[in-house]
Amino acid sequence: MSEAVRIVEKKRIPSGAIMLQGLPDVGLVGLIATSYIISELDLDEIAYVDSDLLPPIVVLHRGLPHATLRIYGNKDLIAAISEVAVPAKALHRIMRKLVDWAESKNVKMILSIGGLPVQNRQDIKDPKVFGAGSSEAALKLLREKGLEILNEGFIVGPQALTMRYCAEKKLTAIALLAQSFFNYPDPEAAAVAIKKFAAITGKKVDVSDLLEKGEEIRLRARDIMRRTQSELNQMKKSQEYDLPLYV
Amino acid sequence: MYEERRKRSVFEIMREYMERLDAWADELLESPERPSWDVQSCCLEPLCDISVTPDEVVITADLPYAQPETVEVEAVGDTLIEISAKMKRKVGFGDFGITHRKGEFSSFRSRARIPVPVETDRMKIHFKRGILEVHLPRKKGHRIKIA
Repeated sequence: MSEAVRIVEKKRIPSGAIMLQGLPDVGLVGLIATSYIISELDLDEIAYVDSDLLPPIVVLHRGLPHATLRIYGNKDLIAAISEVAVPAKALHRIMRKLVDWAESKNVKMILSIGGLPVQNRQDIKDPKVFGAGSSEAALKLLREKGLEILNEGFIVGPQALTMRYCAEKKLTAIALLAQSFFNYPDPEAAAVAIKKFAAITGKKVDVSDLLEKGEEIRLRARDIMRRTQSELNQMKKSQEYDLPLYV
Repeated sequence: MYEERRKRSVFEIMREYMERLDAWADELLESPERPSWDVQSCCLEPLCDISVTPDEVVITADLPYAQPETVEVEAVGDTLIEISAKMKRKVGFGDFGITHRKGEFSSFRSRARIPVPVETDRMKIHFKRGILEVHLPRKKGHRIKIA
């Protein structure tokens, strides 16, 4: 039987890099932020994910076909994005493969960007970014960078699985969660998350263009947001609002 | 093959059967998909959300590029709300790099079904940073207390 999830490498993959993940999730914060970082840092497409678990879609850019879940990179940064919502049923196997692959490339840390839905988002001018880590060392790093730690609560979706699999492998994982809309694309939340990404990694990324194009991005992202919403419902994303019980 | 089948527990077979049943139900209930744009009316369908609280129904819509003074909300009967707004500028498929379709869009339009009885004449709307918020107070039902 063939492998359920395969990562096809197109170019040489750097060893010891930082991996960034931005898959479609609440407010598309991770996807918007990661796509912007890829474009600003001019990262090359170095690999893609091939799997029968993903929808039968190919995306055309400049007339040429590309996989929807792609990996970009340069000598010290690897970034994974997906242009379509990853089906809830495929998420476990896809995320496990990405973490296994990252480990095989001696990735130093997996940093994922996402949104933290808040009900009064339109009243918040400067969204706050919270951090979650897979280990005490990760939490220490977040505190040093001035991030508030997400102490108690649930994380659901791609970031949750990355944290879980990284914790198993003793691989450092950090999740950056910016206050965001649940159902609407949120470029402002993506911009604040990018600033924290820059603080942690030392990479310089100017977010002014992202903020300027905010309305355009919200318009373009309507369809992927709609489809992501339906996957979020299936993975019970609203459980993030629940109160945990641990006596 | 027979050996494999014998090893599976009844619960496993039941679970698989239920999963298949769920998948069929999902397929049957799913309405046919349509695009989020309409070339003939030059309209885009915005993202909308509805939430019901004990006191009101709140409908929101994401309206990037909308001109605030053109945002309109109309209650059609007691169960339907229509939202429309003109955009600051026309947007065409070409703006998204798409060359195999032709069309331009100049406004937003959508309909939302109200899930519980509301007082449409007391409807209030706010438009802030491109997000429309419609508040509809819920009709009061009959309340009784424990004697």
